Amino acid sequence: MIYLHDGTFNGLLTCVYAHYYDKAAEGIYSEGTYELSLVDDKKRLVTDVDKAKKVYNAIMTKISDEAMSHVYHTFLSSDYHKDCYLLRYLQLGFKMGYKIDYHRTHQDVIMVHKLSAKVTKERHLFLGTLRFQEVGKGLYAPLAPDHDIIELLASHFADRLKHEQFIIHDRKRNKAVIYNTKAWFITEFTYEEEVKVSEREKQFQDMWKGYFEHISIKERENLRLQRQFVPVRYRQHIVEFGD
Amino acid sequence: MKDNVLRKLQVLADAAKYDVSCASSGVSKNNTGTIGNSSAAGICHTWSADGRCVSLLKILLTNYCVYDCEYCVNRLSNDVARASFTAEEVAELTIEFYRRNYIEGLFLSSAVEKNPNHTMEKIVKTLLILRHQYKFSGYIHVKAIPGADKLLVQQAGELADRMSVNIELPTEKGLQLLAPQKSMKKMFLPMKQIKDQITQSKEERMHFRHAKRFVPAGQSTQMIVGATNESDLSMLTITDQLYQNFSLKRVYFSAYVPVNRGGNLPALSTAPPMLREHRLYQADWLLRFYQFDAKELLDEREPNFDLDFDPKMIWALRHIHEFPKEINTVPYNELLRIPGLGMTSAKRIFKQRKVRAITYDDLKKIGVVLKRAKFFITCNGQFYGVKSMEPDSIKEILRPAQPFEQLQLQLP
Ligand code: SF4
Repeated sequence: MIYLHDGTFNGLLTCVYAHYYDKAAEGIYSEGTYELSLVDDKKRLVTDVDKAKKVYNAIMTKISDEAMSHVYHTFLSSDYHKDCYLLRYLQLGFKMGYKIDYHRTHQDVIMVHKLSAKVTKERHLFLGTLRFQEVGKGLYAPLAPDHDIIELLASHFADRLKHEQFIIHDRKRNKAVIYNTKAWFITEFTYEEEVKVSEREKQFQDMWKGYFEHISIKERENLRLQRQFVPVRYRQHIVEFGD
Repeated sequence: MKDNVLRKLQVLADAAKYDVSCASSGVSKNNTGTIGNSSAAGICHTWSADGRCVSLLKILLTNYCVYDCEYCVNRLSNDVARASFTAEEVAELTIEFYRRNYIEGLFLSSAVEKNPNHTMEKIVKTLLILRHQYKFSGYIHVKAIPGADKLLVQQAGELADRMSVNIELPTEKGLQLLAPQKSMKKMFLPMKQIKDQITQSKEERMHFRHAKRFVPAGQSTQMIVGATNESDLSMLTITDQLYQNFSLKRVYFSAYVPVNRGGNLPALSTAPPMLREHRLYQADWLLRFYQFDAKELLDEREPNFDLDFDPKMIWALRHIHEFPKEINTVPYNELLRIPGLGMTSAKRIFKQRKVRAITYDDLKKIGVVLKRAKFFITCNGQFYGVKSMEPDSIKEILRPAQPFEQLQLQLP
């Protein structure tokens, strides 16, 4: 049986619930990305918050909060089979308990740790390389991450920019974090026109670019290393790498 | 008006770029012969063209200097573009860069304009504006200028997160040669003051929650590698002493980039000794996190690191009788002494052992560099290295294909 969910985390957990209390699952996918196959025996499940909560609590108490964070990060990754890996990881986890994350050489653990690390790593990169610009009274930051990470950025920036309003806009997924100086929320979001950069904003961008150019030591130049740290695909939204 | 600031920014960024002691630079994690990975807690905001992590706005308040240190671009007798920021300008730049998430904070250094007190006063003023007017709570690292009034150093320490006094050269002799206006004694004075006030404030804060903080992120220093002919041993010995006597948080090393001509200096065509700098960082890492002693790594007979092998490898080869160690039973602190095994993989091995015995294949999955480690371990009693535990034959197998050559700078 293949279970399909609505793409939310609770949807995934509902499917895990069904695996244990209804029919065993061979795979779990989000209905939005699932590639139709006529042979698969599949079922679309309606997200059930109570069931999801039960699975959530079971992970926290029977496995560990560390496992929970691996599960959540993996869920945010853009790997097509991520939810299938999660199913197998959780099956093992309910047998092994908290020690599952010690077991770094088990195939089912490796897959989840790998994806979870990719997501964490991308989040960390954007904590530093996200660039805000002043737009009217607020700040606006566009990005196009590999994984669905804006939610993981929200609280960091809400804390850092406590008294400012800001928008963090995932242009790939057309969604954004919006913070209004009190709380943040996530919403669908598209920008019709390109954002106009004010004169003052442009001055600070230029100063930053000027600084950036002058801080590097010519005798030590190492562009390969630089590319390793800031892959080209991320550069379009980073002020100092633009032209 | 902003054009003016832009020009100053470029001049004073240029002047500050040889200083490496910022929060997240100089932490070397891998063995690529370069530095610049981020530290565990630090956030890198960008990476400059030389591959170094940029996390702070690192600038000089001014590069007008009354001193004449031979190795320094900003020495009095050099004919370079000069500029001075006002305290207000630095504060505004910091805030605006911070809001845009360009930086994590400020690293403010300065040449000595007029005299130490004048310069230190300006530094304090900048911090006052940032902390009180802008209510900036981000990270600030400032230089304490040796020779400045104790009170000014104290004020700065109450506003900054980290302070540093740069040693620059590891011996008095080296200083006399290249920076005769400086002396170890003059530098140790503010270092000691900072150390004492850190200790004092920590104690007070245990009793009174509202006691003032003093340099909560600790103090650090920097040394130039390769401007004089001091050995790695003397660099590492003073490093060790600095950690012990002044409880420094970090000692940074910076490969000397020749910027001046001078009778006592390496020729302008000398390439910065990057690999040597890297070895010193590796050794420093072993002191701070791997419970090694400076004395274990170098001695009078071998006062310099081998450029072909990392310090831990050399240590292991010299102590070959302690190997091989059995991966499945060796205690954690000894795991850390095996070449090719870092802290992360040691931790993973330690945990994995609780679930199941580790096989040789498992080690790869865990992230151990077997190419090196295999000569020093057994896995379930089985040895995978060369038959004789002969340091020379191990060295022969592992020696880098092309011996490292210092690249020569192309001069016109
Ligand atoms: S005091 Fe500092 S800035 Fe002035 S010449 Fe010496 S090293 Fe350079």
